[in-house]
Amino acid sequence: MSLEVPDTTETDAVPERTPDELEALLGDLVIDRDDHLNAPGFVIRPDAVQETLSTLKSEAGYDHLSLVTAQEYENRYESIYHLKKFDDPTQEVSVVVPADKDEPVSESGEAVFRTADWHEREAYDLIGIEYDDHPDLRRILLPETWQGHPLSLDYDRDRPQIATLPEHANPLEDHHHDSESDTMFLNIGPHHPATHGVLHLKTILDGEQVIDVEPDIGYLHRCEEQMAQSGTYRHQIMPYPDRWDYISAGLLNEWAYARAAEDLADIEVPEYAQVIRTMGAEMCRIAAHMLALATFALDVNGDFTATFMYAINDRERVQDLLEDLTGQRLMFNYFRLGGVVWDLPEPRGEFFSKTRDFLDQLPGSVEEYHDLVTANEIFQMRTIDTGILPPEVAKNYGATGPVARGSGIDYDLRRDDPYGYYDELDWDVVTEDGCDNYSRLLVRMREVEESAKIIEQCVDLLEDWPEDERNIQANVPRTLRPDDDTEIYRAVEAAKGELGIYMRADGTDKPARFKIRSPCFSNLQTLPEMANGEYIPDVIAALGSLDIVLGEVDR
Amino acid sequence: MGTVQLFPEFVSETLGLSGVLGDVVGSLVAAAVVGNIVLAFTGVAGPWAKRKITAAFTDRIAVNRIGPFGLLIIPAAAVQLLAKELIVPEGVDRPTWDLAPLVLPASALLGFSVIPMGRLGPVNLQIADPEVGLALVFAFASIASISLVMAGYASNNKYSMLGGLRAVAQNLAYEIPLIVTAMSVVIFAGTLQTSGIVAAQGDVLFSVVGFDVPTWYAFVNPFAFVLFLTANMAEIGRNPFDIPEAPTEIVAGYQTEYSSAYFVLFYLGEFVHIFLGGAILAVTFLGGASGPGPESIGFLWFVVKIWGFFLFTQWARSALPRVRIDQLIEIGWKGMLVLSFANLVLTAVIVGVIA
Repeated sequence: MSLEVPDTTETDAVPERTPDELEALLGDLVIDRDDHLNAPGFVIRPDAVQETLSTLKSEAGYDHLSLVTAQEYENRYESIYHLKKFDDPTQEVSVVVPADKDEPVSESGEAVFRTADWHEREAYDLIGIEYDDHPDLRRILLPETWQGHPLSLDYDRDRPQIATLPEHANPLEDHHHDSESDTMFLNIGPHHPATHGVLHLKTILDGEQVIDVEPDIGYLHRCEEQMAQSGTYRHQIMPYPDRWDYISAGLLNEWAYARAAEDLADIEVPEYAQVIRTMGAEMCRIAAHMLALATFALDVNGDFTATFMYAINDRERVQDLLEDLTGQRLMFNYFRLGGVVWDLPEPRGEFFSKTRDFLDQLPGSVEEYHDLVTANEIFQMRTIDTGILPPEVAKNYGATGPVARGSGIDYDLRRDDPYGYYDELDWDVVTEDGCDNYSRLLVRMREVEESAKIIEQCVDLLEDWPEDERNIQANVPRTLRPDDDTEIYRAVEAAKGELGIYMRADGTDKPARFKIRSPCFSNLQTLPEMANGEYIPDVIAALGSLDIVLGEVDR
Repeated sequence: MGTVQLFPEFVSETLGLSGVLGDVVGSLVAAAVVGNIVLAFTGVAGPWAKRKITAAFTDRIAVNRIGPFGLLIIPAAAVQLLAKELIVPEGVDRPTWDLAPLVLPASALLGFSVIPMGRLGPVNLQIADPEVGLALVFAFASIASISLVMAGYASNNKYSMLGGLRAVAQNLAYEIPLIVTAMSVVIFAGTLQTSGIVAAQGDVLFSVVGFDVPTWYAFVNPFAFVLFLTANMAEIGRNPFDIPEAPTEIVAGYQTEYSSAYFVLFYLGEFVHIFLGGAILAVTFLGGASGPGPESIGFLWFVVKIWGFFLFTQWARSALPRVRIDQLIEIGWKGMLVLSFANLVLTAVIVGVIA
C-alpha cells in the first residue's frame, strides 16, 4: 500500500472513540482524568487494571500495549499503560494506575497483555511497584540480590553495590538436576557465539529439543533512562540514543527522542531538515538490516560464511555515506531538537553521486543475497516453518518492526503515524505471511529495497532544493523548560520496531521521567513462544531472526 | 601383491638391509616420510591455506603480513598455539580426556598407510597394500568417532556432550551409505586392494577430440560419485554437515574444553581427516595418482586431487548453510542409505550382465 493513497477502510473498521465516549465505556472504573499530550489518560483504581485493559482491548480495539511506564511522585507511585491500536497507532489512550506511597501495589495487566509481564517486572525492579497477580514478579535487569529500586526517589545512588554471579544465581544449582526426568538444563550465554551480545538463555533440553527457554537479560544495563533524566533536553540527551541500538541505527534512535521532545516543547522542524533526517534514517535502516542479514547467516550457515562478509561490505558503504553526512560512523549525534546539526557535506554533488552509486549497486547486491541465501534449498529447509510466531501471539507480546511484519501484521509507524517526510514519499510497507524465521529475514531484505527508494527520492528533493531555503534548524531557545506536569509518549519506527519515548516534564530543563520503549525488549519476549518444542539450532535461528541488540534490550 | 615395489621395501633395499631388520627400518622410515608429508599438508592447510581460501571466497585478503604471501604465519601460529596454557577443567574424566586428542589424528594418519599415493621418481609412496585395503582404511577412519565421543563425554561439559552425541549419530548415519557406495566401486574393480582399484581405473572410457577420458569411476558412475562425496563430507564433519562442532549452536561441540596442544591435536586430526577423505575419494573415484604425464610424477597428481577436495570443503563452508541435526539424520537414513543400496544393486546387476 502506498502512502499517497491513504487506505480509509482500516480506520473505518475501528472507529475512533472520543475521550468522553471512552470514559463512558469504562464507566465507574475511571476515578479521574490525566490527559497526556499524545492521548487521553484515565486514572483508574489500582485493583481494576485487568478489567480496564480488557474492556479497552475487546470493546474499543486497543490491542497494542506499547509500553508500561512506572514512576514515583512525592505522594504516590504511578504505572501508565500506553495503549494503541495495531490498525491505527494514532489512536492512543493512557491508563494511569496510581499506587499507594507506602505500599505500592497495583493489579497486573499480564492476564490481558502478555507483554506486560516483562514491562511490569522492569517497573518492579527499577521503581519498586509490586503487581498483584503477576505470574513471576522478579527483578529483570538487576541481580536478584540488589538492594533498593534505583529509579525510586529515596534510592541512595552513592552506595556502591557489587553483586557477584555466585551470590545471586548459581547456574550449577542442584535443583537443575532431576533424577526422575531425563531433561537437561543448559545455560546458553551470556558468553556464547550466537547470543548477539550478553544474553543469557536458561534452556531446558530434552535431548536436542528445547522444552523451555527463558531469556535472562540485564547484563548490559547502563542506566540509560537515569542518564537521560540527568541531562538537559536541549543538548545533553541527544548523544545517548546512539548507544541504545548501537548497530548503526543511531539516527533512528535519535529521531525517537527528537520527535518526543519536539512535540513536548512544541518545536517545528524545517522541511529541509526533515528530508535530511528521513534520508539519514533510512541509511541507518539499511545498515542495520544488512547486519541483521549478516549475523543471521552466521547463525544458520556457521562462521566463515561468505554472506556475512558480503553484507558487512555493503554496510560499510552505507556507513561511509553516513560518515560523510554526520562525521561519525556509529555514534552520530547528528540530530538536534528542531533539525539537524549541519547541512549536507560540501561539495554536495559529490555526496549525491556517491549516494546514487551506492543505490545503483544495491539491487545487484540484494539479488546476490537472494541467490546465496534465500534461494538456497538447505537454507529454506532450515528456516521455513521454524520459529513460528502467529500474528495474535505477536500482537499480544507487543512485537513490532520486521518481527511483526514477518507475521503478516501490517504495522509501520512511518506510514501509520507519519512523521518526518515519509508521508510525502512513495514507498511500501513490506509484510510477509509466513510467520517464520524465513519471513522475518525476507521482510528485512525487502525493506532494504524500500529504504533505497526513499533515499533516492530524498536525494532528488535535496538536489533541487533552492539554496536560500536550506534551513537546517528551527529557532529553538537555548534552554527548554516544558510546562510542569506535561507528559508525552511518542514512538518512531526504528530498525527493530517501535521505539518510543515517554517523558514527563516538571518545569525544569531536565525530564522528571524518561522512559524508553525498546522494540527489542518486547520482541525478545516472544522467543519462548517461537522456541519451545524446537531443536537447539532452530532456537538459535529464531533468536537471530529477532535481530535483537542487547544495548537496546537492557538500556 | 602388485608388481610395483612398496615404499618400505624400497627403503630397506636402498639401505641394503634385509630380513626383520629391513622390514622394521623400512616400515618406520616409510611411515615417518608419509606421516610427515601429511602433517606438512596439514601445517600448510590449517594456519595458512584455509585462511587464504576462505578469504578469497569472502572478499578478504587474510594473512599477508609475515613472510611472502603471509606464509610465515605457519611457524608463528605453531608457536602461538603451543605456547598457550593447557587448561584442564575441573571434573574432566582423565585419562580419557587426554587420550581423545591423540586418537583422532592417529586414526586419520593410520588410514594413510594403505593409500597408494603414487610415484615420485623411483619411489612408490605406499606403505602397505593388503588385499583388504579399502575395508581397512574405512575401519581406521571410523575410529575417529570414538575420539569424538571420548572428548564429548570426558569433558564434563554439556556442549561437549551434545557435540559427542551428535558425532555418533552422524557417523552412524553416514558411514553405512559411504561404505555401501564404496562397495559399488569394489564390484567394478573386483578387488578391495587399493592399488588394484586404482589400476582398474587406468583404461580409456571414451575419447573426445583426441582427449582420452579415463575409466575413473567418477566418470563411469557419476551418481555413486556424488553420493560418496556427500557422505564423505558428513563423515569428516564439514559444511553443510559440520554439526558436531556447529560453533554458533553448541559453542565448539566436543572441542569446547580443549586448549593449547590438545586443541592443536584436534585441529590437526580434523585436517588430516579431510585429507584422508580426499585420498579415499581420489583412490576410489578419481583414479588415484593417475594423470597426464609420466607415471613418475603421479604423486603430484595425487596431491592436486586431495588439495582439490580440501578446496571443495572450504568452498562448501563459505557458501552452504548447515543442516539441522534431525534433518541430517533424516537425509542419512531415509535418503542416502536407500540411494546407496539402489546404486549397489544396480551396479551389481549391470556388472553382472556385462561381465
